[in-house]
Amino acid sequence: MGLRDVLPGGGTSSVTGGMFGDGSPTFLTSKIDWIINWSRRNSLWPMPFGTACCAIEMMASAASNYDLARFGMERMSFSPRQADVLICAGRVPYKLAPVLRRIWDQMPQPKWCVSMGACASSGGVFDVYSMVQGIDTIIPVDVYVPGCPPRPEGLIYGLMMIQEKIREESLSRHFEHRAEDPSSVARPHANDAQVVGLTGPFGNSTQQEELSNKESGATEEPPEELIP
Amino acid sequence: MKAGLDAVEEGPHPSERSTGSSDGKIDDPDGHPSVVALLLRFGDSVSGHRVSAGTQHVVWIDSARNLEILHWLRDDQDHQYDMISDITAVDYGAGRPIDVVYQLFSTVHKRALRIRCELPLDGLEIDSIVELWSAANWLEREIYDLFGVTFRKHPDLRRILMPHDYEEGHPLRKDFPLRGRFSRAEQTRRALDQSVEHSYIAEEMDLGRDPQQAAPIIGTKDGVGSEISDE
Repeated sequence: MGLRDVLPGGGTSSVTGGMFGDGSPTFLTSKIDWIINWSRRNSLWPMPFGTACCAIEMMASAASNYDLARFGMERMSFSPRQADVLICAGRVPYKLAPVLRRIWDQMPQPKWCVSMGACASSGGVFDVYSMVQGIDTIIPVDVYVPGCPPRPEGLIYGLMMIQEKIREESLSRHFEHRAEDPSSVARPHANDAQVVGLTGPFGNSTQQEELSNKESGATEEPPEELIP
Repeated sequence: MKAGLDAVEEGPHPSERSTGSSDGKIDDPDGHPSVVALLLRFGDSVSGHRVSAGTQHVVWIDSARNLEILHWLRDDQDHQYDMISDITAVDYGAGRPIDVVYQLFSTVHKRALRIRCELPLDGLEIDSIVELWSAANWLEREIYDLFGVTFRKHPDLRRILMPHDYEEGHPLRKDFPLRGRFSRAEQTRRALDQSVEHSYIAEEMDLGRDPQQAAPIIGTKDGVGSEISDE
């Protein structure tokens, strides 16, 4: 998908005789890029997905002391259909994973995602049976904000990095940025190998697993092929 | 310090503490009239008694008679345990029985009492007490979900915290691995295969008003129960 498909009246024949005069599309698109990116990055509407203490910091960021409205984030959009950037603030249990995925699927393009805090980014200390080990296994993430929870400055810095990312985007590469296969709707973002790699066993939990298997009167044995 | 670090190396292990019920030992029940009355009336069904944390009286009873004994504790004029503060369960690991714990409180006599029933691992069944306290409904569902204890005659025994189609077992059991039984990839795939509508049921948000779900309020002073009404 190239420049000529994107511009109105584009195409080989119309460039020379069309609205672009002598046809210097490079110059023209750079200006359109600039205007569009400028308006996009200064009117981001966040979709708050707050599930834990990170949400408190997110609310503080939007309140008067830190005032996200300075960055054009005038309105927390509680409908995904009017939102541009998903802020996932807090831990996400597996039971909530399909909800998060559906909200992401409902957001219109262009859209970005901030993973706020240790739990959203990696599962944090919750390396347990019930918790998603990083929302990047569920949805694509643009910026990770570390912290437990991050201070509002951290979140604002993350959102400014989103703005930087938008600044570098170009309409000519727009559809590469926005590539999303319809079949990926409601499916994991990461493939199996990535998920297992991201969440490799460590620490006490594996030891407990060995220990409990040794002594267990476990009644439910999982199918062999599901055990890593 | 050395021993502590060694323990970290070895990882978690089942508690070695005795639950104290099988020896039939009875602590001094004098401070608590309900314990005295329980021993007199249901002495053959009481398998132990402890005073815990100074004032908390704990009585182990026969799990087959839990409904009868709790019903008596709720309705007898001298006791009137009209509030079920909590129902929970404890797994001590190493093949020992799972305890179901009822924490009772009498708003009339301002007394608390803890009743425990031991359930062997091969017989995790006990009578539901939803007909005595409707608050027991979700608490028993939680125990069913996390420990796998089946409550007989429960009106709606489904999982409540874990997904409805969770197939890895009962997470709070000692024999349950911390990270679950399936691989993370499989868990992620199964999570996204869930139907959101199955977990977040609109009718359940309005539970108190649904005549199909409403359980009677019981334990009024004259013994006459009243139904939950729309007011």
